[in-house]
Amino acid sequence: MLAHTLSCGLEGVHGFVVDVEAFLSNGLPGFDLVGLPSAAVKESRDRIRAALLVSGFSWPFQKMTINLAPADIRKEGTSFELAIAIALLAAEKPEEYHDLDKTLLLGELSLEGKLMPIHGALGMVITATGHGIARVILPRQNAREVACITGIDVYPAENLLQVIDHLNGKEHLNRQVPVSYEGLLKERVIRHDMKYVKGQAIARKALEVAAAGGHNLLMVGIPGSGKTMLARCLPGILPPMSYEEALETTLIHSASGELGEDEGLITERPFRSPHHNISMPAMIGGGGRVRPGEVSLAHNGVLFLDELPEFQRPTLESLRQPLEDGCVYIKRVASKASYQSRCMLVAGMNPCPCGNHGSRVKQCRCTPAEINRYMGKISGPLLDRMDMQVEMDAVSIQEIEGTGEQEDSATVQTRVWKARLRQQERYRNEAYFCNAHLPQEAIERHCRMDDQAKALLHQAVERFHISMRAYARIRKVAKTIADLAERDIINAQDMAQAIRFRNAEGLLGR
Amino acid sequence: MWSEEQKCLLWLSSAEVSADRVHSLLEKYGSAQEIWEAFGTAGRPIFSPRTSEILGKWHSRDALEDLIDRLQRQRVHVLFQKDALYPELLNAIDDPPYLLYYMGDLKGLVRPMVAVVGTRIPSRYGKEMAFSIAQGLADVGVGVVSGLARGIDSSAHEGALKAQGVTIAVLGSGLNVCYPPEKGPLLRAIVEGGGLALSEYPLDAEPVNYHFPHRNRVIAGLSHGLVFVEGKVQSGGMTTVFLALKQGREVFAVPGQVGTSGSEGPHAILREGARLVTCAGDILEDLSITLAPSQSRPGAMSSESPTEEAILSALGREAMGLDALCKTVGVSEDEMIAQLSVMEITGQVVREAGNVFRLSLLR
Repeated sequence: MLAHTLSCGLEGVHGFVVDVEAFLSNGLPGFDLVGLPSAAVKESRDRIRAALLVSGFSWPFQKMTINLAPADIRKEGTSFELAIAIALLAAEKPEEYHDLDKTLLLGELSLEGKLMPIHGALGMVITATGHGIARVILPRQNAREVACITGIDVYPAENLLQVIDHLNGKEHLNRQVPVSYEGLLKERVIRHDMKYVKGQAIARKALEVAAAGGHNLLMVGIPGSGKTMLARCLPGILPPMSYEEALETTLIHSASGELGEDEGLITERPFRSPHHNISMPAMIGGGGRVRPGEVSLAHNGVLFLDELPEFQRPTLESLRQPLEDGCVYIKRVASKASYQSRCMLVAGMNPCPCGNHGSRVKQCRCTPAEINRYMGKISGPLLDRMDMQVEMDAVSIQEIEGTGEQEDSATVQTRVWKARLRQQERYRNEAYFCNAHLPQEAIERHCRMDDQAKALLHQAVERFHISMRAYARIRKVAKTIADLAERDIINAQDMAQAIRFRNAEGLLGR
Repeated sequence: MWSEEQKCLLWLSSAEVSADRVHSLLEKYGSAQEIWEAFGTAGRPIFSPRTSEILGKWHSRDALEDLIDRLQRQRVHVLFQKDALYPELLNAIDDPPYLLYYMGDLKGLVRPMVAVVGTRIPSRYGKEMAFSIAQGLADVGVGVVSGLARGIDSSAHEGALKAQGVTIAVLGSGLNVCYPPEKGPLLRAIVEGGGLALSEYPLDAEPVNYHFPHRNRVIAGLSHGLVFVEGKVQSGGMTTVFLALKQGREVFAVPGQVGTSGSEGPHAILREGARLVTCAGDILEDLSITLAPSQSRPGAMSSESPTEEAILSALGREAMGLDALCKTVGVSEDEMIAQLSVMEITGQVVREAGNVFRLSLLR
């Protein structure tokens, strides 16, 4: 008469355990689903009915009441369908189904009884381990995603029949062998290697410094000068993700449905480059059914905004808080969520509207007023978040043909890693962990420089009319350069390079 | 005190009656007062209907007195063609302005003057050449004349101001209308620095396009020589060059790189026989103006480290990017980035768009 199974819903990136109760009674035959189901959940009735019939079971000629507890949280998504189907069967024949109170059932059903992949499986399984649930049965396509989770037995299944056979002991499913994160890391390949970037010594150095200190970087250059190519190399020179970081990132991707079928834990730092017509909810997250935005999908990785001035102003402005706090809080009338968003911001832009300023082949045809307007689009608060700015070399084909391969990403990554470790060691008792996040009051304490460096900086302040804010940024960047060179005190060479990478506040060598 | 004749000329100016029109009328009627009378009695057919309408508005003693009051309040003075201080050179051209509105010190006009003109969209090289030539000229007391436009004109004014010299801006609009608008601070600096702002147009005249070629004859007319820094063959700078040639002035041109559009104009006139200049000294020599001791040609360099010296000599041959520079000098990219940054701070080297480095002309 009565049976219950376990399933999971999704709130933000985390799961919450849902008790699925099925009650069969005499009365007018029908199917009632209660417990705040959304439209998609209500629709599951027809899928479940077809799946049961096709699999050779009957649709109970009774009054069926299904309750999804806790009843006060809105249920979204399709992850409950397998649990509802099993609960119905178990309510008819309770003696045939075992261990339902220790087994998490996840999966969407197709009409022919197949299990379909769901969003957010990783978050749900992690929640289940926290609730002492011993095993989980889920669609095969979601299995790799949770392969690294320990403390729970994972049984991937293809279809409803397999699940039923497993639960009533006829034929057991194969338990998935857990995979270690280190093993996954070894499979990792660097897709974009710095050794293929020709020339661009200044920009390459800037990228390394940005990676080492977590600094945000603005690249300015004519179209085709390699801004995007360089930016894509950034994930490959950042230190590899720790297990915790990989979990955090995969959770977000899993919850938003960005994770492909059969994709395991994300081991490469994400690189997101949204198109410039992106809307604000798509950028920071939101929508009717709240989903993470690009800034969260780039968590622990890189958010690359090409053609920065083409982005809508409000979209760019909305990035300020997530970049600063490393977290997005989204509140809607019906729902709320918070997604982590600790990423490096790298932006690319042309030097002028026509893009030819500084080109050796083409002539720039922009008036000063046009260029000012173009620069004006990114002025102010957002430019404030850019620690470094670099202009790309206008490389001619003759110049790059002779050059051999450049340093590869692995070598650069080793240096970056060392510099990051130095910072972690230095800031182990602080709330921040890299030079870019140094608060104002800590700069004096941590970014010490020798007399020559100080003299050089003062000279530069005088010559380039450097503001106080830019002054602080230069010192932070200089500290990162010193970290890369494994020096404790900033010397003149570090300072000179840092001044080279200063944020020129829209001057751009004009 | 204003004479009746001067008031009548002011009246003609208020409707922007052109210089050659006024000159021919003066020939016919003898004096501006006669024109005033004729306009009152004979009616208006002397002028076009539009001009007549404006002249009619001002054709009263009271209106003119108000106008003079306003000029005084705004510290705008008027220099008439008959005045003793009216520059002789300007008087010698075909259609000298019958009056000039000015702000600043008239003493600025009593000195040799050289005009520096060129494109509004200059290269960095062009701007620096204009700046350094103007600075060199102003340094020995030569007045620098230009048109306050963006680009070369502004750089020339700025260069002269840097040397605390006298510079003269000839506007294509009224003195109340600063065009381009962002040059307001520069205009103030010119006037306060002992220079002059000149215009032959009434106070509130708009910067309409036909003013500028007309204005250019004043720029050329005021100067002993004219330096054309950068510009295309079809450009305002070139019209000034032709006006200067017509007026018999010496024309100089700064050479540029072959293939860039800004070099077209100077190279075209160099082929026609203009004098080639690389620094202020060349101009002074050609115009037989004695060189003050502070003037020195660029080229002498002092440096400290061998790397710096190597970089300077490499860049002395041609401007280049970082990779090429590393290869030539033979140091690591890392060190080169730092070294170039230092040299940029000390002002020896300039970085152009696209990370091309070259020697600074302003060392």
